[in-house]
Amino acid sequence: MLKYLKAGLLGLAAVAATGSAFAADIVEGEKVFHKCAACHTIGEGAKSRVGPQLNDLFGRRAGTIGGFKYSAAMVAAGEGGVVWDEQTLTQFLVKPRDLVKGTKMAFAGLKKSADIANVIEYLKTFDPEMAATVSGGETGEEAGKEIEVAKAETPAPARPSEPDHEGGLGLGRRATADEISAWDIDVRPDGLGLPPGRGTVAEGEELFSENCAVCHGDFGEAVGRWPVLAGGQGTLADERPVKTIGSYWPYLSTVYDYIRRAMPFGNARSLSDDDVYAITAYLLYLNDVVTEEDFELSSDNFAGVRLPNESNFVEDDRASEPEYAAGKEPCMSDCKPGPVTITMRARILDVTPDANDDDEENAGGGID
Amino acid sequence: MARISESKARNGASRRAFLKAGLAGGAMVAAGAAVTRPNPAQAAGDPLITETQDWNRYLGDGVDASPYGSPSQFESHVVRRNVSWLTADPVSSINFTPLHELDGIITPNGVCFERHHAGTAVIDPVEHRLMINGLVETPLVFTMDDLKRFPRENRVYFLECAANSGMEWRGAQLNGCQFTHGMVHCVAYTGVPLKLLLEEAGLKPEGKWLLAEGADASAMTRSIPIEKALDDCMVAFKMNGEALRPEQGYPVRLVVPGWEGNMWVKWLRRLEVGDQPWAQREETSKYTDLHADGTARRHTFVMDVKSVITNPSPQAPVTHGRGQMVLSGIAWSGHGRIKRVDVSLDGGRNWHEARIDGPSLPKALHRFYYDFDWDGSELFLQSRAVDETGQVQPTKDELRAVRGVNSIYHNNGIQTWYVKADGGVENVEVS
Repeated sequence: MLKYLKAGLLGLAAVAATGSAFAADIVEGEKVFHKCAACHTIGEGAKSRVGPQLNDLFGRRAGTIGGFKYSAAMVAAGEGGVVWDEQTLTQFLVKPRDLVKGTKMAFAGLKKSADIANVIEYLKTFDPEMAATVSGGETGEEAGKEIEVAKAETPAPARPSEPDHEGGLGLGRRATADEISAWDIDVRPDGLGLPPGRGTVAEGEELFSENCAVCHGDFGEAVGRWPVLAGGQGTLADERPVKTIGSYWPYLSTVYDYIRRAMPFGNARSLSDDDVYAITAYLLYLNDVVTEEDFELSSDNFAGVRLPNESNFVEDDRASEPEYAAGKEPCMSDCKPGPVTITMRARILDVTPDANDDDEENAGGGID
Repeated sequence: MARISESKARNGASRRAFLKAGLAGGAMVAAGAAVTRPNPAQAAGDPLITETQDWNRYLGDGVDASPYGSPSQFESHVVRRNVSWLTADPVSSINFTPLHELDGIITPNGVCFERHHAGTAVIDPVEHRLMINGLVETPLVFTMDDLKRFPRENRVYFLECAANSGMEWRGAQLNGCQFTHGMVHCVAYTGVPLKLLLEEAGLKPEGKWLLAEGADASAMTRSIPIEKALDDCMVAFKMNGEALRPEQGYPVRLVVPGWEGNMWVKWLRRLEVGDQPWAQREETSKYTDLHADGTARRHTFVMDVKSVITNPSPQAPVTHGRGQMVLSGIAWSGHGRIKRVDVSLDGGRNWHEARIDGPSLPKALHRFYYDFDWDGSELFLQSRAVDETGQVQPTKDELRAVRGVNSIYHNNGIQTWYVKADGGVENVEVS
């Protein structure tokens, strides 16, 4: 990946021969934008999702994209005169809630001023008027195409002319130790696969608010329909169970494994092993599995931590259910007494798409 | 049974009456048209026949107008659809196959439902690698070219998401089989038996489980028992004769016949052999079945016997009035072939054996029909599949009695469609 970004840099530099300093900003800004991309889209076909789409942003009055449900605070900010430009965006991105108290953008803010400047430069490339001021008038998409063109040829993998392993058909080649360690990052409940490292609850809190809270909420309570990570203990037999790490997940290894492989959403593999230990420790704290803020989770004590719901998982025993009893012959006539009556109709709930597009809350069930 | 033959007899007469009425109606429509659009030929018949039409006079597009063809412009409504409130974001979401618009047993590639956990990965096949590591004699890396040098096989299998019909646990909710049952598709795969790849690396005897991993941004992972891996799993690179679609895992995906769709890892990049399951996110926090008492089942791999009537259904009402009707549907089982499908018109009081037509292949969709003479009265349509192992599709209430309503996954209960006298159809539950 790094290789392509480098190649991309070269490509952009070539395109923007007159202003390569700006070009570097855009490429860096695109990387920063990964943090935004969990909620915002930009470029061709961009649509408002969790956050409004960001094309043609500069000069836009805050809170005015049609069809997006802004917070009352954001609409008020726009009515009060907030128009997005380099200055207001800079203020907003430092700490969104400082500029617009009550915004539903849960993002904590960008700490580095270079990140802010770079991401604003990147946003400009998707604004027809502003694009003229960066990298010779390239729009983001055109710049992207250049990156595509400039992409370096992948070096051919070392390939033995003769099979390098016994048996089989002699196809494929031996995987190197470095290749295996690059991809084999899975962690099992017994701790097999854990990398060396450590992190505390306090460190995790800071990382969580920076990387995770935008979707999962500051305390794992979740924003919108993103997964709730904490709480819910004792609700599994309730009418509306809340399935979290503390209430449902059987093993802590899954938390570490999944954060390391797939989080933050839209910027996977960007956290260090220590970061993942720290965030995992913070999640234990949010779920009251540990109570001390100075608790440190490490490869040494990891396998000793158990989650409360581990014993409530059972193996598949559907075949023993009465409806699947062996030798059951299905009834063909007069199977039920009395005339048929309707006991429930979907149209009463009517959550069918197209019929009621505004329905944000599901009336029941879900696909998880 | 007696009731049906009576109604057939009755309908013989009423059907003729209806046809007469229809003819009179048609004449009225034609008369109306005459006022707005003078047409000397119409008195003699349908102008679509008696007048020369544009497509019958002017030339159409040449052969290269559409180098990769698309469905007819008149079929543009036949698309996958999603239910926006189900998930937080379309990048980690689901859409649904338009089952009510399809026939036969094969799902066209462009409308096979999608489920991604981090969007569709875009991978140049030249840059794709598949690794086998763990408890093997030789950890190996394959390119796509390598994979295509293994002996291939062609198999037709259904793929059903474990959460298909998951929204219906608490009761009838969505009006359309696309939404209640559309997380299923059936495709002819070309690929390499997984067994051959594992043999190439040399399985160690202590290897009991396989971890399959995708190359997408969720690096999707699932643990699979080694017996299944060596039985009928495939590493597939073609679907219905052409390359996998990007959203179905291009350039290569795992095929795990009869087992829940989440295990069919797309953009497959790694297979690791181990001696126990890995307890990954998608087999602990998700894809486990929570019961009313708070316990949860895990490793519920097999998709049990299931069927649904696709026509008529809420998105496909009856528009032709009483008389001859083709009732159609699909049935499938992760245990093997479908032996029989029964259809009820009266909410499960009486059942009639449907006619299965087309190939009957293990772990594939089966197409069934029930052709009957509709007397125009209300119907409560149900279908009930029986597979070759004798497993009978249960009712939703039977499942709820054992599992409660918070299970999300593995709802294979019998679906009821209420056909009203005007031909409109609703999703209901009945006594």
